[in-house]
Amino acid sequence: MQPTTTRVEASTAAGSNEAIRQDSEQRIAAYIQAEPQAIEQRLRELDREWTTERIIETEAPLMVGLGVLLGLTKDRRWFGLSAVSASMVILHNLQGWYPLLPILRRLGVRSQNEIEQERYALRVLRGEHSRHPTRVSSDAASTTTVH
Amino acid sequence: MIPDTATRASSHSPSEVNAWIREEMNARLQALENNDRDALIDQRLHELEREWDVERSLQSNFAIVSLVALALTAGNKRWSALALAVPAFMIQHALQGWCPPLSVLRRFGFRTAREISDERFALKAMRGDFDEAVHSRNAQAIAKASRRK
Repeated sequence: MQPTTTRVEASTAAGSNEAIRQDSEQRIAAYIQAEPQAIEQRLRELDREWTTERIIETEAPLMVGLGVLLGLTKDRRWFGLSAVSASMVILHNLQGWYPLLPILRRLGVRSQNEIEQERYALRVLRGEHSRHPTRVSSDAASTTTVH
Repeated sequence: MIPDTATRASSHSPSEVNAWIREEMNARLQALENNDRDALIDQRLHELEREWDVERSLQSNFAIVSLVALALTAGNKRWSALALAVPAFMIQHALQGWCPPLSVLRRFGFRTAREISDERFALKAMRGDFDEAVHSRNAQAIAKASRRK
C-alpha cells in the first residue's frame, strides 16, 4: 500500500512531477529575500489551494450521485456509473492512481504533500525551524507553532 | 487441534512478514535503548508518511458505503435515500468541511494532513534537515531539504 504522503506523486508521470517541482522551486526562490509579511501572505494562499484530494472528493460523489439519479429515473444500468466511480476512489486510496489524475497533474494540481513541502521552505525562510533545535539541549523545543 | 491463542495468527503469516514485523520492533527498541535521537526521528517520520489522514479515510468510507448503498438500492428503491445522501455528504465535506463520519473519525484520533505535516516539520527541524540549506539561502537546496523523507 502506498504511503499517504506520496501516493499521488507515485501515480503521476515523471514529467508532470518534475514540472510541478520546478514551479515550486521557482516560487520558493522568489521568496528568499521576502519580508515576513509577504511570506505570511503566501502561506495563506497555499492554505486556499485546491489539492488533488479536494477535487476528487467533489468530482467522485457527483458521478456517484448522478449514476444513482439516472439509475432510478432512466435505466438501472446507470448504477454502473456509480459503482465504477466509487471503485475508482477505493483504487485511489489503496494504490494512488485515479482516472482524472493524469489530467489534474498535467494542469499542475498539487497533492497536499507537495503544498506542505513548499510551506516547509517558507517556514524555514522565516526561521521557524530554529524553534526545534537540532541538539538536545534545553526545553526550548517544547512548543510547536501551527501556521 | 485447536491452536494457541497467542500464536495462531503469526503461524499463519508468511515467515518474511513475521520477520519484518519483528525487525521493526527490534529497531524501535534498539533506538530507545541507545537513546538514538536521529533513529527515533527517522522511525517516526516513516510512520507519519503512512498515517491515514482524514481525507484518505473519509474517501474510503465514502466509496465503501456508496457501494453498499448502491447494492441495497438495486434490490429495493427505498435505499436510494442513503445512496444519494452518502455522495451529498462527501461533497459537503469537500466544499464546506463537515460530514457525519468526520466527528467519529476525529474522536478516534484521525488527523488532518496539516496536523501530520506540522509534526513532520518539527521532526525534520530537530533532525537538522534545514540547517545547511538555510545558510546557503539557495531555493533549490531549501526545496530539497523540505522534500527529504
